[in-house]
Amino acid sequence: MTLTEDREIDIFVGTKIGSFKHIKYHTDLTKNNKKFIENLVDIKSLQKDDGVTCMAWGNPGQTEILLAKKNQQIQAYDTLLGFTKSYTADFGSGHVVGLGRCKRRLVAALSSGVVKIWSKKQEDVLQVGKLDCMRLCAEETSLFATGGEENDLKVWRIGEPEPIFSAKNLPHDWLQLRRPVWVNSLTFLPGDGSLLAACSRHGCVRLYDTRAQRRPVINVEFTMAATCITPSFDDRQVLVGFGRGQMHQVDLRNSRPDKGYKGCTGAVTDITIVRDARLVVSTSLDRQIRVHKYETKELLYKQYLTSKLTCVLVQTETSTPLKKEAEVKEESELREEKHTEEAAEVEEDDMDKLFDDMETVGEKTRKKKLPIEPSQAKKHKPSTDGSTMAPEEEEDAIFNLLRSTEKQKKKREKKKKEKKAKSVFHNA
Amino acid sequence: MARGKDKKKRKLEKKQEGDDVPKKIPHTLESLREKDETMLANVDAEEQEEAQKDMELDELSSYYENTYEPKVLITYSDNPHNKTRIFGKELARMIPNSLSRYRQRSSVKRIVQSGIREGITDVIIINENQKQPNGFLLIHLPDGPTAHFRLSSCKITPELRKDHKEITTHRPEVVLNNFSTRLGLTVGRMLGALFHYEPQFRGRRAVTFHNQRDYIFFRHHRYEFTKDGKRAKLLELGPRFTLKLISLQQGTFDSKHGDYEWIIAGRRHQLETSRRKFFL
Repeated sequence: MTLTEDREIDIFVGTKIGSFKHIKYHTDLTKNNKKFIENLVDIKSLQKDDGVTCMAWGNPGQTEILLAKKNQQIQAYDTLLGFTKSYTADFGSGHVVGLGRCKRRLVAALSSGVVKIWSKKQEDVLQVGKLDCMRLCAEETSLFATGGEENDLKVWRIGEPEPIFSAKNLPHDWLQLRRPVWVNSLTFLPGDGSLLAACSRHGCVRLYDTRAQRRPVINVEFTMAATCITPSFDDRQVLVGFGRGQMHQVDLRNSRPDKGYKGCTGAVTDITIVRDARLVVSTSLDRQIRVHKYETKELLYKQYLTSKLTCVLVQTETSTPLKKEAEVKEESELREEKHTEEAAEVEEDDMDKLFDDMETVGEKTRKKKLPIEPSQAKKHKPSTDGSTMAPEEEEDAIFNLLRSTEKQKKKREKKKKEKKAKSVFHNA
Repeated sequence: MARGKDKKKRKLEKKQEGDDVPKKIPHTLESLREKDETMLANVDAEEQEEAQKDMELDELSSYYENTYEPKVLITYSDNPHNKTRIFGKELARMIPNSLSRYRQRSSVKRIVQSGIREGITDVIIINENQKQPNGFLLIHLPDGPTAHFRLSSCKITPELRKDHKEITTHRPEVVLNNFSTRLGLTVGRMLGALFHYEPQFRGRRAVTFHNQRDYIFFRHHRYEFTKDGKRAKLLELGPRFTLKLISLQQGTFDSKHGDYEWIIAGRRHQLETSRRKFFL
């Protein structure tokens, strides 16, 4: 790969407030610009529980993104058509922690520990126990793995009620104390789905081999909480992000960290790699997306994206044009009629032909820049109408607490009054 | 131009030019501040809208919609000495609807839990080292964020030769100065959310959080307008202290397993690349 040859890489980012962005990253760094970032969701329509909690590719061709929101809505986003379908995962409490598609079936897991598998004919529900993460195996999509706080790693096969592999904790430490478990993120390593890596909030990165043993094959300890894990470029190497803003590559062959990627000032929330361009893309709670070069660990690109980022996807199979760009191009083609609406219609017709067999349920969002109301800018101001009433219990509590000091207070106030009468300020 | 040599010459020139030449803006660290992309002032409209939305949807938004009255718990490290105690008491006097309690060897996580149970909205924990208050942990309840500040040059009222009894129980006005970046805005909003959203102007009390070069200076005044109403006389009431942000963490206090939004520990050399770069 040479840097002079410009390639475009499409990055999709989900944020905590619910916005969903498409970034066109150019390997020719001079071309990177704010113009190549666009919002795919109308920001004004966002509500409190719209935060994106999980994102996954819906098909191997990487044209469909499954997007889970905090209010248990799961949306399918087609990279060309926009939002097509939406499901509601209201079969339990909590937010969606894992998503995936196995052939025609959709798999979703909630943080309360319910995994549901939708297919056209039937719906399966599995009770798994409190979850922090659920992942599908990329090569063998009928496998998925789960893990959470005090709920060690388990591997399941779709259709089977019992896990095909459940991990065993490491033996007690030298003080004969139990090692705590908190699987925060996990990943299948490339292969037939028998190698898994998991990281925990207690700072362990563990490699499991389902063929060999139930205990982890390799355990690497850190002193800080790990937040996300993803397979790296080489065999048995993983990239791990930490809650204090570090990002390391961990070599699981000789069980030690071997590369550190600098630059994050907040917790790393998600990492992905671009295999052919040798790049590491990471999102962080400091609202920045960063692209590192894999070998040299050098920070190539960072961009502030206004809200806290939660997940990132990189499109490697195909590419998606920016919607702004598409509109601009068609405008120039149909220069006689300068109406963007008509251009948009033409575009729609083309797409209808292309995607005849695909059902298009739900809303289609076409990106348009809307003027901003200036009045919104000053929303937060103290209102003039009275204080809010606290609940009665609270008031009682306050009363009790203040009762002890009431006498003193009265005395103080008396003195204050005397003083006030003398003071300059009172007369003014 | 060399500085010393031509000074006289320049002075003479200046005299000749007279007074009608407009004053130049002096070059200070602030006026030459490195451009920060997260500053609300220099982004386009779409981003500004998103930032606005981001603030509307964050954990502090319910205070800024005036839905609750803040109730603040002030506590200390174990066995606080006299100065820290007085400082906490004065804070409790200054912040309306607040109470000061000794820690009783309780852990921060338990304080947070019981605070949520008791309907407390913010917890302040003052740490002490060598009899001097040196840490200021601010936790917004029920679900964060948590800010950790270094507390320095703390002056309590006796040290300022003031009387703490001067501090009235009126709800003060809050002035938040110079919080311009996105991080600064969050910190400013957290500090603002300690006080009741509706000041009692009768009391003529004003508390100021002034950010300058990432140091947040706190002052507490009583003001009085002059008779012509053009200026205000200030009377400082105390206490007086300076804060510097160490970390901002998402969620309530969990220094081991929590996710930090911003933390400087371990990357000072990466971040503090220039004297003209500021984070707040």
